[in-house]
Amino acid sequence: MKLLTCPLNGQRNISEFTYGGEYHPMPDPETASPRQWAEYVFFHDNEAGVVIEWWCHTASSFWFLAERNTITDRVIRTFEASEIFQNRIDFAEPTNGEKK
Amino acid sequence: MIELTPDKALRRSPLYRRHLQLNAQFEQLGEALVVGAYSDTGMEPRLAISLGLADLSCLPRTGFKGPGAPDWAATQGVEIPSAPNTALAQADGSMVAKLSHQELLIVSGMQGDSGLVDNLNQQIPGTGVYSLPRADSHSWLAVTGLLAAEMFSKICAIDLRTHKFAQGQVAQTSIAKINGIIVRQDLGTTPCFHIFSDIASTEFLWDCLLDAMEEHQGVAIGVAAIRSLDATE
Repeated sequence: MKLLTCPLNGQRNISEFTYGGEYHPMPDPETASPRQWAEYVFFHDNEAGVVIEWWCHTASSFWFLAERNTITDRVIRTFEASEIFQNRIDFAEPTNGEKK
Repeated sequence: MIELTPDKALRRSPLYRRHLQLNAQFEQLGEALVVGAYSDTGMEPRLAISLGLADLSCLPRTGFKGPGAPDWAATQGVEIPSAPNTALAQADGSMVAKLSHQELLIVSGMQGDSGLVDNLNQQIPGTGVYSLPRADSHSWLAVTGLLAAEMFSKICAIDLRTHKFAQGQVAQTSIAKINGIIVRQDLGTTPCFHIFSDIASTEFLWDCLLDAMEEHQGVAIGVAAIRSLDATE
């Protein structure tokens, strides 16, 4: 059994975790083009090398980030999302006449 | 004397069919029925010291989550555990578990006093505090006894031996493939592991636990045995 270290719960069997996709910084929704936004939402880089990924410890529903080398499948470190996300992100009301 | 049966109570445990099969004797607790004992031999408190499984699903519990939850609960007189994944017994016998920096689980004592739980549920939570009711989403089982950790080693990857898993420690993990919260809160001197898990899977978990307990002669026990252990020093 592979082991992964959850920043909140400690080292656990990999079967307790769910993969949540690559992490990418969110483009500014006000200025991003539809192409940029679609890439952010749907596309993965699928890079061979060190990537940052979302993982969830399902027993506690705790989402965190992991730095992993996709070539060696070695997890370099895991860390709480609060390292990157300090504040709640609120989306502004659409200003260009778009309906919600 | 009116016979107490689960179908006559306003609230009943998701395990009431199992309890009926085991010839449980029920007792009233608020608007719910709980199992007092499964046999009238008076042996359950002694068996529970070795290995017992009790259904506490009808006892009061609640939860709160959000960045302001711990501070808000503290203003309501709750003593907050210092670190995530630890639990603290309160002065009134209830227990508060801190599941993350922003999440609390609050459960009553073994007498089922709902004072703290009711009080918190009736307050209007402050800013950044969200109510997270647990009474209908999670079942509550308690595994008691000196052989509990050995039994758990068959169905749970966490080392729950008492020298590794201290009093007041919390583990959110997989138990018999069911996600659950395990809290060690001993009853007197008897080790006790409380399990909170998805209420829809309670019968499965109950059966798995009894099956795993069989080789250690573990048995289902009622709240009378739990309370008698809790009263011992």
